[in-house]
Amino acid sequence: MPAAARTSAAAGRSDESGLQRARSRLYLPFLLPALLLYIVLFVVPSLASVGFSLMKWGGLGSDMSWNGLGNYVRLFTNPAFGTSFLNTLLLTIVGGLIVFGVAFLSMVVLREMRGRAFIRAVVFVPYILSPIAIGAAIGFLLNPDGAINLILRTIGLDSLALAWLSPDLVFKVIIIGFIWSTTGFYVALMMSGVDSISPSLYEAAKLSGASRLQQFRYVTFPLTRDILATAAVLWVINGIKVFEIVIAFTGTAGTPPLQARTVAVQQYLSVTGGRDGVPDLGYASAIGVVMFVLCSVLVVLVRRILRTESIEQ
Amino acid sequence: MTTTFQPRTRAHAIDGAIATLIRILLWVWVALNLAVVAWIVLSSLKTTREIFAQPFGLPAVPQWQNFVAAWQVAGFSGAAFNTIALVAVSSVVIVVLAAPAAYVLARIPRASAVPVTTFFALGMAIPFQAVLVPLFLISNSLSDVMIQWVLGFWDDRISLGLFYIVLSLPFTVFLLTAYFRNLPSELEEAAAIDGASPFRTFVQIMFPLARPGIVTALVLNIVSLWNETLLVLVLVTDPEQRTLPAALLNLYNTMQFTSNWGGLFAGIVILVLPMIILYLWVGRRIVEGMTQGAGK
Repeated sequence: MPAAARTSAAAGRSDESGLQRARSRLYLPFLLPALLLYIVLFVVPSLASVGFSLMKWGGLGSDMSWNGLGNYVRLFTNPAFGTSFLNTLLLTIVGGLIVFGVAFLSMVVLREMRGRAFIRAVVFVPYILSPIAIGAAIGFLLNPDGAINLILRTIGLDSLALAWLSPDLVFKVIIIGFIWSTTGFYVALMMSGVDSISPSLYEAAKLSGASRLQQFRYVTFPLTRDILATAAVLWVINGIKVFEIVIAFTGTAGTPPLQARTVAVQQYLSVTGGRDGVPDLGYASAIGVVMFVLCSVLVVLVRRILRTESIEQ
Repeated sequence: MTTTFQPRTRAHAIDGAIATLIRILLWVWVALNLAVVAWIVLSSLKTTREIFAQPFGLPAVPQWQNFVAAWQVAGFSGAAFNTIALVAVSSVVIVVLAAPAAYVLARIPRASAVPVTTFFALGMAIPFQAVLVPLFLISNSLSDVMIQWVLGFWDDRISLGLFYIVLSLPFTVFLLTAYFRNLPSELEEAAAIDGASPFRTFVQIMFPLARPGIVTALVLNIVSLWNETLLVLVLVTDPEQRTLPAALLNLYNTMQFTSNWGGLFAGIVILVLPMIILYLWVGRRIVEGMTQGAGK
């Protein structure tokens, strides 16, 4: 019996200490299966990734040799990766501003409007649907001769009937599709914070003549700051991982156009070799490490920004 | 607190207008979501000609053969079987592994419990692409070793399920730890005083008490694994062994040759409808689990 358990047992009442000790015996048998699996197949691999990223390593059968920071140098001098990196940042930052803008606007009225439960339930729906399905369906609507352009032409807006899925435009469409499919989740998340605010605060605000916007400014917003920080962190993690919806919109298991790739797509192409079939696993590991670093940096940044604002308050 | 809010009629009129505008936009958003789902379902019952000619009209005659085409020709039957088996087995194993771990982490006051909980939570912050290459390597080595030395055969779907389990552990342990922590301890103590072994106390008392949390964890894992695509594409090479999202992607890619758009929409419905039904059934639990799991 370890010393720590004995001290805690001594601190308790004597019958309880017996129980504690008996229960304490469950600790390792209950914990270890999950913990070992997690360490062996998740933690160790993520460390191995760092090692692989320093290697020159083509496919699975090929030899590995030391490459130092070679893969990273190649990454940041490669215009294709540069584009995918900027795309990922664009999606995460611009998309994030829009998503949280929509969430804030919803929070102004959603607390007490008629049909609020129904609205909250329905806006959440796209979040549980496969991005592949969403991409395939909306991609069909946006075909050059698809329904959207048909409508635009019928109402005389021919100039707006664009080639939505062309390489130059498709990433903007993807960002909009991603925003549509995820905003409901962030609205639900932020509203769960609003739900926990005491109604008496709103009563007091109303009594002193605060308008809805002022109620949002002085009650809702300050009191949902913590959940905003969590939501923003989640957004960043999810934004950096964006993969499926790009593949679905560009509709090809081969290679999405350069202009539309995210970092995750770029990594997928290096692991599988894409259409040319030349995998580059060292390089792909380096992309994985860059994604982790980018994620950590953005998370720290988001937390810092939200914290400074709360000090200014 | 002396008020800073003077009742200003003009400001309040503007405020009311803005609020009304937001309300209208929210209803437009709701209508759009419902319309998209309805449109997908309707399109799956149309002929390809109808889909193009009247994209928003009703089908003249419901084309059930679209589903037959997707199910038989495009291989959705096999994909559906793979998906259901993988999701069912993985999500149950996840809970079987995570619940006991979460229980002891939440309720046994060992010094290591708090750091180990944090250690699990850390896994939620790592984009799993950071481990993609090692998982690819492990999957292939496992397959080689099993075929050559151990079993004489291997199936990539087993490796896939294994990684589904591992990658879902951090979130599930985190979620369930919070649930177990909030359970009352009286029943646990009473059971122990009555002479139930700690193991029995867990199985017969604490596990059933945590049922709402466990069902939530199960459902959330079902949703995320059902839609998972990247790992299937990377780890499973045989199209016959792939899951529904991969089958849909494959079908989508053949559209330029087959042009059976009715079949494509049938495929979309096969992928999407089970999740919508699950949402209609336990939607509140999904939303609460996802938001509270994140909020805690």
